[in-house]
Amino acid sequence: MKRVKVVTTLLLSATLLASTMLSGCGSSNGEETNKGGKESESVSSTQGTEKEVESEDSTDSGGTGGEVAFSGELTFLHFSTSEESEGNGGSDGFRTTIKQWEDAHPDVDLNQTVLSNDDFKTQIATQAAANDLPDVFMLQGMNTKSWAEQGIILDMTDIIKDSPYYSDYNTNYFTPFTSEDKLYGLPALTGGTCTVVVYDKQAWEDAGFAEFPKTWAELEEADAYFKENGYKETLAFGNSGQWQLNSCFMSAIGSRFTGDDWFLSIIDKEGAKFTDQEFVDMLTFTQDAFQSGIFNDDFNAINNEDAREYFISGESPAFVGGNWDVSYIQATIQEEDPDLYENMGFAVLPQPEGATKTENTQNIGMGYAVAINSKLKDDPEKLAAAVDLAYTLTGPDFATYVGENYALQGLTKVADIDLSKFDEVTKAFYNYSYVDTNASEIYDSYVSSAVWEVLNTEAQSMVNGDTTPEDVAEKTQEAYEANY
Amino acid sequence: MLSRKPKKSVLFAYLIVPMLLYVFSVFVPLVAAGFYSFFQWKGGPNKTFIGLENYVTLMKDSVFWEAFGHNIYLVILCVIGQVGIAFLFVIIINSKLVKLKGIHRTFGFFPSTISAVAVGFIWTMIYDSRRGLLNWFLEAIGQGAKTQVWLNNPKIVMTLVAIPLIWQYIGYYMIILLSATASIDSEILESAELDGANTVQRAIHVILPMIKSTIMVCIVLCVSGNMKAFDNIYVMTTGGPGNSSMVMALYGYKVSFTQQNMGYGSAISVAIFVLGLLVIGGIQLLSKIVNKNEEVV
Amino acid sequence: MSKKQYGWTTGKKIGRGILGIGLNGIMILFSLTCIFPLVWMFYSSLKVKREFNADIVSLPKSPTLTNYIKVLTNPDYHIADSLVNSIRTTALSVFFIVLFGFIVGYILARISFRGSKIIWLMLLMGMLIPIHSLLVPIYVVFNRVGFSNKWFTLLIPYISFGLPISVFLVQGFVKGIPTALEEAAAIDGCSFSGTLFKIIMPICKPIMVTIAIIQTFSCWNEFSFALVLMRDTRLQTVPLAMTQFTGQFSSDYPKIMAAMLITMSPIVVLYFAFSKYIIKGIVEGAVKG
Repeated sequence: MKRVKVVTTLLLSATLLASTMLSGCGSSNGEETNKGGKESESVSSTQGTEKEVESEDSTDSGGTGGEVAFSGELTFLHFSTSEESEGNGGSDGFRTTIKQWEDAHPDVDLNQTVLSNDDFKTQIATQAAANDLPDVFMLQGMNTKSWAEQGIILDMTDIIKDSPYYSDYNTNYFTPFTSEDKLYGLPALTGGTCTVVVYDKQAWEDAGFAEFPKTWAELEEADAYFKENGYKETLAFGNSGQWQLNSCFMSAIGSRFTGDDWFLSIIDKEGAKFTDQEFVDMLTFTQDAFQSGIFNDDFNAINNEDAREYFISGESPAFVGGNWDVSYIQATIQEEDPDLYENMGFAVLPQPEGATKTENTQNIGMGYAVAINSKLKDDPEKLAAAVDLAYTLTGPDFATYVGENYALQGLTKVADIDLSKFDEVTKAFYNYSYVDTNASEIYDSYVSSAVWEVLNTEAQSMVNGDTTPEDVAEKTQEAYEANY
Repeated sequence: MLSRKPKKSVLFAYLIVPMLLYVFSVFVPLVAAGFYSFFQWKGGPNKTFIGLENYVTLMKDSVFWEAFGHNIYLVILCVIGQVGIAFLFVIIINSKLVKLKGIHRTFGFFPSTISAVAVGFIWTMIYDSRRGLLNWFLEAIGQGAKTQVWLNNPKIVMTLVAIPLIWQYIGYYMIILLSATASIDSEILESAELDGANTVQRAIHVILPMIKSTIMVCIVLCVSGNMKAFDNIYVMTTGGPGNSSMVMALYGYKVSFTQQNMGYGSAISVAIFVLGLLVIGGIQLLSKIVNKNEEVV
Repeated sequence: MSKKQYGWTTGKKIGRGILGIGLNGIMILFSLTCIFPLVWMFYSSLKVKREFNADIVSLPKSPTLTNYIKVLTNPDYHIADSLVNSIRTTALSVFFIVLFGFIVGYILARISFRGSKIIWLMLLMGMLIPIHSLLVPIYVVFNRVGFSNKWFTLLIPYISFGLPISVFLVQGFVKGIPTALEEAAAIDGCSFSGTLFKIIMPICKPIMVTIAIIQTFSCWNEFSFALVLMRDTRLQTVPLAMTQFTGQFSSDYPKIMAAMLITMSPIVVLYFAFSKYIIKGIVEGAVKG
C-alpha cells in the first residue's frame, strides 16, 4: 500500500504544486484587473514626478547623454542583431546609438537581450503573458491596443510631449502606437517602404517602356515581350512565408481599392468589414494578378530572399518587395553588376483597373516603437533612465546617423541631410520612399496578428486558385470579429 | 518480473528524485495549460474565465481537424518509413554480405543530429522548382513534363514534407534497434541471413520477437514524435500553401504566439496531448490483440 | 551451428552475389545521403552570402574562410561563452538522463508495484507534450519558483523531457534480458542496489550508450526552452547564440553554417573520433549465449 501512497503523493504533489502556482496566478491576476482600473489615475500622478525628473534632465544637457541619477540594471529586449545591422541602416543606427548611450551612462548596467526577430516575437509574447516584460523593449504596432488595455505598457503621452525633440517628431509615425488618444511608444528604427517595384530601366526601355507601366494591361503586354526575350517572368515575388503577400502587395493595393478611411474604420471598429465589396475586389484583383502568369510560377514556394535573386541574376526584369530587399539588392549588384545597378529604378505597383480610391500609394511607416514597462512608474529614477534611453534611440543622433549614412528617415526630422553625396540610385529610392509617392498604412502595424494570420494563410491558397476571394474575406472577417 | 522485490523504502529513494523533477517540469506546466485552456487569454496577463468555450471552438475548428488528419497521415508514413526501414536496415547491416558496417552505423545516425533548419534547407533545395535536384533529375531522364513547383502542390505537400522526416530519423531508430539486437546471440543473426530466400521470413520469425519490446518503444516514440511534429515543417512550408501542410503543434504554436491567443493555444496543446494518448492507446490495444493471436498460432 | 552444412550451389552463389551487391549498394547510398548534409554545410560555409543565394547546390568557385573569421572575431556572437554553457548543460543533463533513465527503466521493467502503471503512463504522457505550445506555462511556472535564468535552469527540463525516452529504451532492453542473472545474484546475497549497479548496469551498456548519444545531440540542439527560460546573454547556449546570425529580413546562411559547424564541431569530432567505441558499445552486449 505504501507504494500506492508514493505514487499518489507524487501525483498529489503535482496537482498541489500546480494549484498553488495557478491560484497564485489567479489572485495576482485579480489584482491585475484592479490595477487596470486604477491605472489612469496612478499613471497621471507618476507622470507628474516623471515630468520633473525629465525636465531637469533636459535642461542639463539636452536630453541625450544627460545625467541620469539611476545606477543599476536596466533590461532591454530588442532584435537589432549584429547580423541585421550589417545591411540594414536602421538596425546599424540603432546599435550605434545604443552603444553611445551606454558609454555616456556608465552607471547604468544596460542588460540587453538581442534576439532575431522571430525569436524576439516568441519571447516578448511569453513575457507579456507572464506580466514580466523587460524594462525597455520594442513594441509592435498591432500589440499596442491590447497591451495598453491590460496596463502592461507605460502610457508615454506626457513623456513624448515633454521630449526635447517633440517639435521635430514626424507625428504621423505615432498612429500605430496610439490607443484611445494615448501614446505608448516612441517609433523606432527607420521609416521604410514595404512595397516597391525594383526594375531594370534598360530592360523595360528595350521592351518599349520609357518608364514603369502605370496599368496592369501594359504589364501584361510587357509580359509577352519579356517571355519571348528570355526572361522567366515579368515580376519576381516570394510568398512562402505567407506575410509577404500581405505586407508587400495587398497592403499597398488595398489602399487603392478601399481608400484609407476604410482601413481607419477597420482599426477603430467603426463599421467597415473585410467582406465589404471594395476589399473583396482587392482580393479578386490580387488573385487575378497572381494567376495571370506575370509572376514567377513558384511565388508561393520561395521567399522574398530567393525571389530577389531572380532579379539580380537577370531572370526577371522586375521584383516586388520591401525596403529590406532594396538594401540587399543595392549592396549586391553595386559590386557585381554595376550596369544593372545604374539602371535600377523604383516604381509603385501599377493602378488596378477599377481601383479609384487612391493612386500612387505605397505603404510606409515604422513598425516598432521603443516602449517602457508600466512597472517602472514606481521607480522614478529608473524610469528617467529608461526615458532617456528611449529619447536617445529615436532622437536626432539616430536620425542624423541613418540620414547621413543611408539616406533614411527616422522619427525625428533632421533638416540638414545632404543628399548630394549619395549616388543617383540612393537618391531615387529616397525620393520614392519620402517624396514622390503617397503614403498608405501598413496593414499589419494595426489590428491584431490573429486577423492577419488568417488572411495571410487563406490568401496564399487564394492566389493558387484554391479558394475564392469571398471565402477569404469571410474568414478574415470572422477572425476580426472574434479577436479584435 | 523479479520474484524478490527490494524494500519499499529503497524503491522510493530511487524513484523520488527523478519523478519529482519530472513532475515539476512536465506535469505542472501541463496542468497549468489545462487550467489556462478554460480562459480567454489574448496575450498580456489578463485572462477571462470562459469555461469550455475554447474546447467548443476546437471541436468546430476545421483547421485543427485538418491538421489532425495530416498528423495521422504523417504517423502512418513515418512508422512505416522510419521504424520499418530502420528495422530492414538493421537486418541488412547484421547480414554478413554487407561491408563497411561501421561506416553505415556511424553515418546513419548523423542526419538526426543536424538542426531542423539545415535539414529543411537541404530539402527545400531538392524540391526547388528552378534549381532543385528533383526537377533537374526529371529533366535529365526525359520526364521534363513532370517537373513542377513541388512544395506548392497542396495534394502532395504532406508527403513531400514527410520524406525528409523519414530520411532524418531512419538512423535514429536504426541505432536503437541495433542496440536491441546486441542482446541477441550473433549466431542466430547469422543463421538468419544464410538462407537468402528466407531472410525476410527469418527476420520476422527470429529477430522480430526478440526485439519486440524495443520495436514497440520505437513505434511509441515515432507516433508521439509525429503527433507533435513541428520543426521541419515550420522551416519548409510554415504549414502552407494555405493550410495544406499544417500540423497540430504548428497550429498550436501559431495560435499561441503569432495570433497571441494563449487560452485557445493551451486548449490545442491539451487536445494534441489527449489525441496522442488515444492513438498510442489504440496501438497498444492493437498490439495486444495481435500478440495474443500470435501466441495462439 | 556451422554454415558448412548448407551446400551452396553455383546458382545460389550468384544470387547471393547479386543480393550482396544490391544490399551494399542500398546501404552505401543511404550512408552517402546521410553524410551529404555535413559535406554540403561545409562547402557552403566557404561561400559568401551572395554566391550561396545565387546557387545553393554548386561548389564554391573561390573558397574563402571569411565566414569563419567573422564568426570567431566578432565579440557580439559570444561563441566561446555559449560553448562553455552548452558543454556544461549537455554533459550534466546527459549524465542524469542516463542515470535516472537506467534506474527508473529497470524498476519499471522488473518490479511490479501498484504505482508502476501510473508512472509508466505519466512518462508516456510526457512524450506527447507539444512543448512549443506549452512554452508559456513552463515560463510562468519556472519564473514563479525562481528557477529561470540560472545556470542550472535548463538542466531541469532537459533531464525531465529526456527521461521518458530513456526509461522506455532501458525498459525495453531489460525485458529482453533473462531474469536468471538477477535471481542468481539475489541468491548470492547481493543487495538490490548491488545487483542494479554491478550486474545490470554493465549489461545495459549498449542501450545506455545509445541513450547518451541521442540525448547529447538533442540537448546540444535544444532551442525552445533555452529561448524562453534564459534571458541573460552570458548564460545562453549555442543554438540561442546562433540567432545572432539571423536578421529580420535576410540572413547570411553561409555564415550561419560556418557558425553551426564551429559549434557542432566539439560533439561531431567526439562522435567520429570515438565512433568505433560507441558503436562497439552499442552492438556488443554482455549477454551472449
